[in-house]
Amino acid sequence: MASFKGNRFLAMLLERARHSWMFVAFFIGFFLFWEYSIVWFDIPRYILTPPSVVIEKGAADLDRLLYYTYVTGLETTLGYAVAVILALPLGLAIAFSSILKRTIYPFIVCIEMVPKIAFAPLFISWLGFGLLPKVIIVFLVCFFPIVLNAILAFNSLSEELTMFTRSTGSGVWRTFFKVRLPAALPQCFVGFKYAAINATVGAAIAEFIGSDEGLGFYIQIVTGNMRPDLAFAGIFFLTLLGMCLFGMVTLAERLLIPWHISIRRAK
Amino acid sequence: MSPGITFSEVKKVFGEGASSVHALGPVDFHIEEGSFVSLLGPSGCGKSTLMLMTAGLLKQSSGTISMGGGEVIGPRTDIGIMFQDNTLVPWRTVRGNIELQLELRGLSTHERRDDIHRLLRSVHMEDFADRHPYELSGGMQQRAAFCQAMVHEPKTMLLDEPLGKLDAMTREGIRRDLQSLWMQEKPTVIFVTHSIEEAIQLSNRVVVITPRPGIIEKIINIDLPFPRDFDVKNSPEFAAYVRETQEIFRSYGVI
Ligand SMILES: Nc1ncnc2c1ncn2[C@@H]1O[C@H](COP(=O)(O)OP(=O)(O)O)[C@@H](O)[C@H]1O
Ligand SMILES: [Mg+2]
Repeated sequence: MASFKGNRFLAMLLERARHSWMFVAFFIGFFLFWEYSIVWFDIPRYILTPPSVVIEKGAADLDRLLYYTYVTGLETTLGYAVAVILALPLGLAIAFSSILKRTIYPFIVCIEMVPKIAFAPLFISWLGFGLLPKVIIVFLVCFFPIVLNAILAFNSLSEELTMFTRSTGSGVWRTFFKVRLPAALPQCFVGFKYAAINATVGAAIAEFIGSDEGLGFYIQIVTGNMRPDLAFAGIFFLTLLGMCLFGMVTLAERLLIPWHISIRRAK
Repeated sequence: MSPGITFSEVKKVFGEGASSVHALGPVDFHIEEGSFVSLLGPSGCGKSTLMLMTAGLLKQSSGTISMGGGEVIGPRTDIGIMFQDNTLVPWRTVRGNIELQLELRGLSTHERRDDIHRLLRSVHMEDFADRHPYELSGGMQQRAAFCQAMVHEPKTMLLDEPLGKLDAMTREGIRRDLQSLWMQEKPTVIFVTHSIEEAIQLSNRVVVITPRPGIIEKIINIDLPFPRDFDVKNSPEFAAYVRETQEIFRSYGVI
């Protein structure tokens, strides 16, 4: 039985490999090209460094990189969490209130047009170099996609399901928890994921504009010192951070709405 | 007022002014308790509208509908409804979807485990209780939706084109199950369809509705014995009913 299971696992791995070998090959090819093109085209080290040097020099500066990852990670997570906590109830309220839909909703749609990152210098001039202005920028970047998707989510229950719940005499709360909320979750996650992708962007740009720590700060400083190797190391950790946040949101999606994932996969 | 369902001068106009649509009526008729009545008409003639008004989910523009001696003034919770698009939710299994009807009504699902199993067996779905809707064929989904609509044992059932999107063979099988269930429990059934044959095979009476604005052209009593299997469907009497109904739609240029 165990060997049978083992065989199945092996078969699954082979199947995966068969589907993705081209991608893996391309990926490896890309890094090889990067590595050797610097020699071929005689690119100066202060402009671009090969990946092997990025790894070597990055490892030598690991302590600083890890600490800055922590700093930027904290800004990102806090801003994102506050955005979720505030945006979800607000989206819900707007979806169910015709007054809010005619007042706050158009206002939010207008603000959504403004590039939030443009506020970053203002917040930094008001609040200084610390954690708070960065959290606010990340919050602003994440808040709108979550609110707008939540409004869409809670407004898109089908006519039939609405009538079905009415025909059972079910109360507002019971209907909400048994039908409206689960029906809305897939669309809510569209907003959560979009926000997760943009959260680290917000944090990094806010740090570019004014800070004395964090990965954005690091990338800016080492680039000024003609150290593209360390800049790439910083970018690598920033990417890792973004992937972690996105991975966590995806994991939550998988745990909360496994049925939706299965349907998506079946299609 | 008598038991059963009575429609008096029921009319529905959607919207107001120049852009208003006169969808239905005025409609006057009575459905006896325990009978199986089909609403037959081309699409857009107001069948769903009439059904939703009967359920109290849509308000008529004028006229009254009464059910079981009381006027319909809001959503009726004592009936079972199958909507034109099924109300199976994707996050629950077949069993979970059936239980949803009970849970929304605040009824215990635990006490009715056996009932649910029996219901599923009566439509040959007992092996699919733990499947999700997206894993089922269209016919199985409709069978599941049917169980969801009648698990609370309503005395009145409103079925809006439950077989509309299915292939001919699947329809035949579900019709047979539907008929035997109706013969056992004898609920009052309003069955919406645009299939002439289906209406005649299943019903005590067929209410023939004209193209929009839908009004009742004729109510045909089907005096054929139940259960109506293939022998009945091949009989000259059955053919005569089909012809009679076809004549009506031909005169309206529908077919
Ligand atoms: N909410 C609505 N607003 C405006 N017109 C509607 C609405 N619902 C239905 N109608 C119109 O009323 C007519 C009858 O619709 P319906 O009852 O769905 O027909 P059927 O079920 O017989 O196909 C159609 O012409 C349709 O366009
Ligand atoms: Mg219809």
